[in-house]
Amino acid sequence: MAQLGKAAGLAIASYLFAALILFTAVVTLLVVGAAVLPETVLLLRRTAGLKRRLVADWSGVPVPEAYAPLTGGVRARVRTALDDPGTWRDLRWLTAHFVYGCALMYVAIPLCILGLLVDGFWCGLLRQRAVALPLLDRLADLDAAWSRALLLPSPKAQRNADLAERVEELTLTRAGAVAAHGAELRRIERDLHDGTQARLVALSMRVGLARRAYDKDPVAARKLLDDAQEQAEEALTELRHVVRGIHPPILTDRGLLGAVRALAAGSGLDVTVTARGVEDAAGQAVRAPAAVEAAAYFVVAEALTNAAKHSGADRATVELFREGGVLGIAVRDEGRGGAEGGAGGGTGAGGGTGLLGMRRRVAALDGTLTVTSPTGGPTVIEVELPCAW
Amino acid sequence: MRVVIAEDNALLREGMVLLLTSAGHEVVAVASSGPEVLPALLDHRPDVAVLDVRMPPGFRDEGLRAALAARAELPGLPVLVLSQYVEETYAAELLGGGASGVGYLLKDRVGRVDEFLDALERVADGGTALDPEVVTELLTRRRDDPLDSLTPREREVLQLMAEGRDNATIASLLVVSDRAVSKHIGNVFAKLGLPPSDSGHRRVLAVLAYLNKA
Repeated sequence: MAQLGKAAGLAIASYLFAALILFTAVVTLLVVGAAVLPETVLLLRRTAGLKRRLVADWSGVPVPEAYAPLTGGVRARVRTALDDPGTWRDLRWLTAHFVYGCALMYVAIPLCILGLLVDGFWCGLLRQRAVALPLLDRLADLDAAWSRALLLPSPKAQRNADLAERVEELTLTRAGAVAAHGAELRRIERDLHDGTQARLVALSMRVGLARRAYDKDPVAARKLLDDAQEQAEEALTELRHVVRGIHPPILTDRGLLGAVRALAAGSGLDVTVTARGVEDAAGQAVRAPAAVEAAAYFVVAEALTNAAKHSGADRATVELFREGGVLGIAVRDEGRGGAEGGAGGGTGAGGGTGLLGMRRRVAALDGTLTVTSPTGGPTVIEVELPCAW
Repeated sequence: MRVVIAEDNALLREGMVLLLTSAGHEVVAVASSGPEVLPALLDHRPDVAVLDVRMPPGFRDEGLRAALAARAELPGLPVLVLSQYVEETYAAELLGGGASGVGYLLKDRVGRVDEFLDALERVADGGTALDPEVVTELLTRRRDDPLDSLTPREREVLQLMAEGRDNATIASLLVVSDRAVSKHIGNVFAKLGLPPSDSGHRRVLAVLAYLNKA
């Protein structure tokens, strides 16, 4: 009954809205009051939004909403407000709702009185099931069904809204990727600057000192040259680590599958690698973009390291597959699980930070990462990375 | 010795030629890209080949593939493969056809001229030269097994054996007597449950096979 009451209230309110719309139309046509139009449209949206919520509360199924955002100057906002099919749909609903809302009210009021008399006395005395009052619920159902039909956004508007949402999501992940890339560049710069460059300066100094000492003190010169060689070797070692961190060379050499097989062989676990669609008929690797391959490689490396260190398992499986525009990875171990929770012994601490890094890397490429790791195992890490092949 | 060099970087190529000729070796051919390597090896049949892993045109693992192809054509051809970085997988592939006359070292090692020349001669004589980094990777990977029962000194001996050093070299590197080395080696083989093996590449293979066992 309350539902019908609200519907009736809203229907009567739409009567007042008609006056507002008329006023808006007039001032907009007179140009001076054009700024009122977007505000009226926003009010209309809020009214329709209220009805959507009421319908959703009643039926338990949400009513989607799709509007073009009103932004920019007055002119742009007026144009968007008028161009948005949602505006006209809302107006249609408002008119129709005024009619059926009032009609339902006129049916509901006598039904209500009748219901109280019939159900209250008749059925109440004779202990029969209520007859009239449940009909009110059916009327509310009718109101909900009609309103839903009228308030659902057009397929085009829905598509536009979906696209807008996707754009927002992509903007976010792109910002994330740019930030991650920036952080990565700073890390590489720091590694090269503090490590390799400093070592090369020290090396050059020792060579210079050895030259000065060369004639006068050959023993000291030799010692300096030994030091210099050590510095050079350390610089090379550091450089190798930096290079590995940027892009593992084996990815370039062997492609993702070859690199993952190498990881599996070096993991200390008994790892079975299966692949679908990542090699062509001739056994040549089908290459994904370098960033995607690198992310996939680091995910597998991290997952296998975690499995070897924390899971207690001695075997694992790695699955690589290509499906449509997606590169999929699944790493599974039969260990003790609990990788996500962080409770079980050392599992959480190491696994946790590793998982965080994996998540960041995957999210930066607009991918998804799912970890299933119930206590007692098995742990399954599934990653999907969108990419063009 | 007659040596064929395959290296695409001109600076390193010249450096290598200088190093080898100054040590009294003869560089009979140089290849600067992947496809040139195999014909050069087949034409010259050198005593040893020094090959870079990454070369044009693909800049992937052309040198390694050429080494494998050459050893398939000329079994036992000694090859020393050099690389900017080492991968266990590559070592396994190279040793797959037998450890005799195989070397796999980081390019950095060239700087230690004497050690490098020693490794080169070892490979040319049918021995093995495996980069310490590969061996360390193999050693650190395995845990909770008989390796833990080795004393630190025995571990050092195992590392050097896996690199392909002979007893005399191990003795001089660790500054101990030959007899002490023999004793350590005996202990290592007993603790790992390996049949005693003479020195040379069979021993290297036994040790590597053990380390590679997952």
